[in-house]
Amino acid sequence: MNRFSKLIALALSAVMLLLSGCTEDPVVRKQTNQVQITLSWWGNDSRNEYTIAAVQRFEKLHPEIKVKCSYSEWSGYEARSQVQMISGTEADVMQINVGWLAKYSPDGNGYYDLEKLADTVDLSNFSSEMLDYGRRNGVLNAIPIAMNAETVYINKSVYDSFGVSVPQTWDDLFRAADVFRKHGIFALAGASKSIWLYCIAYAEQQTGKTFFTDNGEINFSAGEFKVMIEFYDRLVKEKVIPKVEDFQRFNIDNGAYAGVVAWVSDALNYYKGVIEKGSEIIAAGYTADDPSKAGSGWYAKPATLYALSRNTEHPKEAAMLLDFMLNSTEWAELQGVEKGIPLSASVRKYLDETGKLSGLQYEASQVMENNKLIRPMNSVIEDSALYETFIDACDLVLFNKATADEAASQLCKTYAEKYKMRQDSAS
Amino acid sequence: MSGKKNSRASLRNISKAQVLMILGFGFIVVAAVILVSSLAIRKTDEVLKNKVISLTSSLNVQMKLNMDSYLSRMETIATLAFGESEAYTYDATDPNNDEYEAINTEKKISERLFSLCIMENFVDYGIVYRNNRTVGKISNGTSTLFGDKIFSELSSMISRPRTNDGWSTGYGNNFKRIYYVKKVHENAVLFISFYASELDAVFDNPETLSDMDIRLVNQDKNIIYSKNTEELGSPLPTEISSRIEGKISASVLDNEYLVSLDSCGGWFVVCSIPTPIILNEKNEMTTYIYFTAGVAAFLAVLVALLLSYRIISPIRKTVSSLDDKARIDLLTGILNKRSFEEYAGNCLANSLESERHALIILDIDNFKGVNDTLGHAYGDKVLEKTGEILRSTFSDDDYLGRIGGDEFCILVNTRFDSSDKFDAFLLEKCKELSSAYHEYYSGRDGDYKISASMGVALWPDNGRSFEEMYSACDSALYRSKKSGRDTFTFYDANTESEGTENE
Repeated sequence: MNRFSKLIALALSAVMLLLSGCTEDPVVRKQTNQVQITLSWWGNDSRNEYTIAAVQRFEKLHPEIKVKCSYSEWSGYEARSQVQMISGTEADVMQINVGWLAKYSPDGNGYYDLEKLADTVDLSNFSSEMLDYGRRNGVLNAIPIAMNAETVYINKSVYDSFGVSVPQTWDDLFRAADVFRKHGIFALAGASKSIWLYCIAYAEQQTGKTFFTDNGEINFSAGEFKVMIEFYDRLVKEKVIPKVEDFQRFNIDNGAYAGVVAWVSDALNYYKGVIEKGSEIIAAGYTADDPSKAGSGWYAKPATLYALSRNTEHPKEAAMLLDFMLNSTEWAELQGVEKGIPLSASVRKYLDETGKLSGLQYEASQVMENNKLIRPMNSVIEDSALYETFIDACDLVLFNKATADEAASQLCKTYAEKYKMRQDSAS
Repeated sequence: MSGKKNSRASLRNISKAQVLMILGFGFIVVAAVILVSSLAIRKTDEVLKNKVISLTSSLNVQMKLNMDSYLSRMETIATLAFGESEAYTYDATDPNNDEYEAINTEKKISERLFSLCIMENFVDYGIVYRNNRTVGKISNGTSTLFGDKIFSELSSMISRPRTNDGWSTGYGNNFKRIYYVKKVHENAVLFISFYASELDAVFDNPETLSDMDIRLVNQDKNIIYSKNTEELGSPLPTEISSRIEGKISASVLDNEYLVSLDSCGGWFVVCSIPTPIILNEKNEMTTYIYFTAGVAAFLAVLVALLLSYRIISPIRKTVSSLDDKARIDLLTGILNKRSFEEYAGNCLANSLESERHALIILDIDNFKGVNDTLGHAYGDKVLEKTGEILRSTFSDDDYLGRIGGDEFCILVNTRFDSSDKFDAFLLEKCKELSSAYHEYYSGRDGDYKISASMGVALWPDNGRSFEEMYSACDSALYRSKKSGRDTFTFYDANTESEGTENE
């Protein structure tokens, strides 16, 4: 083989090698493998909007995690959560009500044990006393966000314009209604649950009995329920409040409601627009027979809690989101005091330093925190079936379908079918 | 000059042909590569653009289908409310309603609505009556936004007469909510609303098209949905809208933008992306093709060089050999008669009169006797030796030729600045030649004497052409022979008897 032939052979070999390198390999494109977790909450528009925005911040910080949101207003959320908890399709991270701990996790196994994720969730921002609100059977099922209580908000501008002083007592309230009535203004208004709790406060003060015994049984009997029903009947008939069925959100804005009973966490939800229009809104003291007894019959609770699903497939990522929601300044900046004054020490410090611990919601929190008579709430008291049944009973009286005695007696029997009642109360 | 000089000239011609061939081949290859590359790039460009526009169009259609499906699902959920008879028979504005019954009916309707939307992220889901009474889930935001105009404003959103419903957004310049409204009866409308951000899941484009902007716009081309929430309610950017002006369903690709549009109910799904981004790979591909073409052209030229060398090399050898055979006397290695006459004739024909040349004819004395006495083989050796003697005596500038059996001719071209020096040089060369023969002979058998006779003619005094010079030279040789051989004679036209010298 001469040199030329060798050269040709070499060139051909090179070409063959090149061609063998050009064989069609399968095209493989790697996709970012995102972990998807779900987050659910209840709330109003502002909460929905800032939560969605805050979730986007989290996703930006952690592009490997996708958060799917599920939200609703309270009543819809409660029903949705029940369906999800029972069917095992609950969200990885959940905003829960304190009452659900007893309902879904009686033995402490209904939610994820958050202390197993303490390396991701900074629990040191919370006092053990606060964390105890989220424990069931010694297991840390949830972490409270803030404390909450029903509060009396008064549109002082409206009250002042009619020369009516801010009501401190029940009598003040009825006197105010005497002035407002002829002008088509209600001295106070509220949604079903708020009015339910307002009536309980009245009844407890009038009867000296608490709604629950220390053992969690319903302590009220037909007599106390009659007091509540008659009180509601009087409130409506004397046009102190509108029927709960007639409660319309926009009447707060237009001044038709001169006051509202609502949660601390609802202060800005209800009054942000009104305040922006220049009206002065104040968090009044808890209504009582005597101002010195303000807070008696009123209850405080953790506003909401965050829990993780016991079935979550991504506890690490869920915990990252949980910590972001509880302790990060990024989240706190958007949330502010919308859910009440946060219990997280680091968030509270951040809000204080940035001047965000102010305004109506903060004032309402201060009223709650400074009150010595307000007591921790038994979460069962918020059960929707409990207060809806009460409103039904009130309507029977209101529309002359039954007497107060009959309605109270019937209410007592209905409760006895579903709830634990003190033995002599059910009769 | 020797025969090599002419051989080189011939080979130079072959080399020129080789260079021309390589250049021509190179030009053809480069031109072909440029042509093929251009066609490949053009075709690739065309195919790529078609594929991209097709994929974008498909994406747009997929987004439209997603949106259609989502809206359809919302409408279905809303319509399911009609499964509860009270929902469409109850009229909250009827003054004859029993208030207690009305409250209970509204509770029933509310429960029905709650059960229907329990798993949906609705902001609102309820029925609004002409007296602005609401049943179901009505958010604070909606209550605040519409106030006591809620019924009339929602009613005005009904745009489809056949189904008595409609989609709307942007009420109060709020594009964060999207409303679906359906007439229940003359005094009631059912409506649902959800945040525009819910459409993130509908318009979740693939990771590979993450640079693609997906927007939902209304008839006025105002943005209803965009991942960039800051542009909600704003008009579609001019660079996008100008490309889809007057179109309902189309995909447009130019050098700046790729825009795809599809109608979705009364709205439009618009996908857009700057062309340089979507066709980024095209530039890489173009570079790759050019690089490959360059390498291919280089390799082709390299192969051409190799092949031409392989082809030309034997030709050069053959031509050189043939050329030598044609020009050279094989025995002596100097020009043969025809070549010598041609070269010498051309040389003299192109010479000026101011130049100096000399023609020398050398004839071996009594060469027949050499052959007869020493044999033809020895005679050939003498001829061969004569070639050597001539080559060693004269330079490459001089032409050496064998013009007869034992007759040789030299055209002396060596330059001198004066005739005297040239004459002296010629005289010296003639003596050297004579001596060379004597020395050659003296080393041999000693029984036979070899010598040469020479005639010399000078340019231009003795002739102005080769023929004239040869004739003069021949006369001079004759005189040398006549005068007893083994001598040389310079031609003298006047005397023809002078200038003869013996060694």
